[in-house]
Amino acid sequence: MSTTLLTGSEAAAYGAKLARIEVLAYYPITPAFPAMERVSKFIDDGDLKTRFVRVESDHSALAAALGASLAGSRTFTVTNSQGLLYMTEVVYHTAGLRQPVVMAVANRALSAPHSRFPEQGDAISQGASGWIQLFCENNQEVLDNMLQAFKIAETVRLPVMVNYEGYIQSHTLEEVEIPNQEKIDQFLPLNRVRTLDVDNPQGVNTVASPEFYMDYKFRQNEAMEQALTVICSVASDYAKEFGRDWSGLIETYQMEDAEHAFVAMGSMISDARIVVDELREKGQKIGLVKVRTWRPFPAEALREALKNVQLVTVCDKNIVYGLGGALGTEVKSALYGQTVRINSYVLGLGGRDVTTEEIKQVLELSEKTEKQTTASEWFGL
Amino acid sequence: MALSIADLPKEDLFGPGHAGCGGCGAAVAGRQAMKALGSRTIVTIPASCMATLGGSNLKTTWQSPFYHTLFEMAPAVSSGIRAALEAQGIEDVNVVSWAGDAGTADIGFQSLTGAAERNEHMIHVCYDNEMYMNTGGQTGSQTPMYAITSNMTKGKTIKKKNMLAIMEAHGIDYVASASIAYPLDLIAKFKKAIEKPGFSYIHILAPCHRGWQIPPEKTIEFARLAVESGLFELYEVEDGNRTRNYEPPFIPVENYLLPQGRFKNLTQEAIQGIQTSVNKHYGRGE
Amino acid sequence: MAKNLPVVPTAKAGSLAEVPAGITWRIQQPVILETCNMCLDCTLFCPDGALVQQNSKIVLKLNLCKGCGICANECKENAIQMIPEYSGVQGVFR
Ligand SMILES: Cc1ncc(C[n+]2csc(CCOP(=O)(O)OP(=O)(O)O)c2C)c(N)n1
Ligand code: SF4
Repeated sequence: MSTTLLTGSEAAAYGAKLARIEVLAYYPITPAFPAMERVSKFIDDGDLKTRFVRVESDHSALAAALGASLAGSRTFTVTNSQGLLYMTEVVYHTAGLRQPVVMAVANRALSAPHSRFPEQGDAISQGASGWIQLFCENNQEVLDNMLQAFKIAETVRLPVMVNYEGYIQSHTLEEVEIPNQEKIDQFLPLNRVRTLDVDNPQGVNTVASPEFYMDYKFRQNEAMEQALTVICSVASDYAKEFGRDWSGLIETYQMEDAEHAFVAMGSMISDARIVVDELREKGQKIGLVKVRTWRPFPAEALREALKNVQLVTVCDKNIVYGLGGALGTEVKSALYGQTVRINSYVLGLGGRDVTTEEIKQVLELSEKTEKQTTASEWFGL
Repeated sequence: MALSIADLPKEDLFGPGHAGCGGCGAAVAGRQAMKALGSRTIVTIPASCMATLGGSNLKTTWQSPFYHTLFEMAPAVSSGIRAALEAQGIEDVNVVSWAGDAGTADIGFQSLTGAAERNEHMIHVCYDNEMYMNTGGQTGSQTPMYAITSNMTKGKTIKKKNMLAIMEAHGIDYVASASIAYPLDLIAKFKKAIEKPGFSYIHILAPCHRGWQIPPEKTIEFARLAVESGLFELYEVEDGNRTRNYEPPFIPVENYLLPQGRFKNLTQEAIQGIQTSVNKHYGRGE
Repeated sequence: MAKNLPVVPTAKAGSLAEVPAGITWRIQQPVILETCNMCLDCTLFCPDGALVQQNSKIVLKLNLCKGCGICANECKENAIQMIPEYSGVQGVFR
């Protein structure tokens, strides 16, 4: 193992390299493009024997990755925001065809108005698509989650998105430990399933009648539920092998005696750890719940983690118009029936800064707020 | 040596039991082409009649791998399949995307032009029935001028886009037109395309009797009349050289047009205009 | 209970031929006459693969035939005739 300074983009690219992807397809977009260029550079330098399909659009990028996956190759793509929305049709289709494609998403705000800055709205828009979604708090986790993503995807046969925020993560250098290739090869052996195979021909995606469609969807959802367990076991296997435990679905920090819990996902988590430490020192009984797996939604784990707190503050870097922050809404539904105060905040949209200072202010505001009158309150306007 | 029907494989890789209409021209095209392509072929078909009639639930007519893709992406999917085969060292498989005229020239054009520009090692087939049949027969860019469709009940007012010329402009390895009324010509073209290291485009005129409003038994007949009148030229372009594969007898265009229900509003003036442009194309006197 | 289905929605190759989709619509069917000269054209014009060469004969696989009439229309020898599927007291369905 060696430690080096990597951006989140590079960490994602190293993940793809260590996973020995066979086919790569992507269409350039900001801020995901440095990850794309890095994998291409690995190929150009002869460090990676991967076929690159230089497609003409995001839609075709996932289409090509899907075709390659159906033909039995491990495949990878990268995108965000408009690119992800443009490929949405294929996103759903890939999940329905149960193909273990892994996609890195450098989360970015959606147009209009046009924005190139970080936000989780793109990933949230795909929340019903049938993809497993992991959110990373730092660049090391980006790399580690990439490798776990392939393992999870190939085990439950569902595609996985690895989310990291544009710029905040994609363009920021951090120390990252790069695992040893042989050990990765053992952790992630080649697991070839050929659906399109001339030696074993089948018709793929024939029209499903009402008699069949719903049963397929039931099985697909069943796989999502199975993923709740698989994600945890893959995380602990990885921890045993590589010494880093990102936990499976959620991670709790300083929650043993906490009365107030901060719940969020993505880059806010690493800042929130600092805030929690600081407030603890001042004697506040505060803790942190990091949602690492957003899909499948870890409702059971959250209920367990939050059963003894009096106040839950959920922060969302996204907005579901007319409803509120996505995580806030879902935490509320997960805790239905438990007597706990839940305050939900929308903040940091389109790149507006969320630093330790903002997190402290939100927590303070939440403590003072007895009952929210809206589904989510906007913070930082 | 010229091909003969007796030498073709007897086995049907596509066709038996398919769920399309009786007398479907698209199905004829599929059966004929598979005689050349053979079982070591992976076919992707975007939303269309051809995708739908391929099968439902646990049953398919295809004996070789077939994948019903989303509407706009078959050439991209096939590019990915080829990449995977190469990555796995599999060399003896034909990769084909097979789309209707909408899946080729309209919604599917982006992924088609992309794959062609990359000169992917694959064949794209457009089976052209000149309208959107799977959604009930609407007008698209491949619908000829004057044709009545379900959403242009007075007839189309602009010309058909020339897809063969557009594909030729990509400078790909092979471009050919074919008609289901000339199966040996069609099959020979597929055999040529298989041998190319890069991209081939084959545009097949495959009438749909429902959309064209002709009797089902006349599907092949009209595919022939289109060629005999000179309206649909059989040719191929290889290494920049264009060869006409069949010299039409130039039956009057009205013999092809007027019996079709979709052209029932054609005026004598319009027919004259069409005849003049055919004559001009072939360099024939007025 | 949800059906047991393949993980990837797939269909078994060639299985549709066992349950031909269109034959219930058929209102006429071809009869191949002695005058057939075995040019084999009909085997390539049939949309359904219902006409096949067996030794020195063209044989109709009736379970695949939808009765479109292309074969009869195309046969240069007029060696294929379409005959009505239904007859009797109710007459021919047309
Ligand atoms: C994204 C998307 N838009 C629209 C449709 C609806 N649709 C399905 S098939 C079709 C028309 C197909 O026409 P063509 O490619 O000419 O093939 P044909 O059915 O005529 O054989 C349309 C519009 C779809 N399936 N997907
Ligand atoms: S509508 Fe036309 S193209 Fe579609 S199955 Fe019927 S005959 Fe074939």
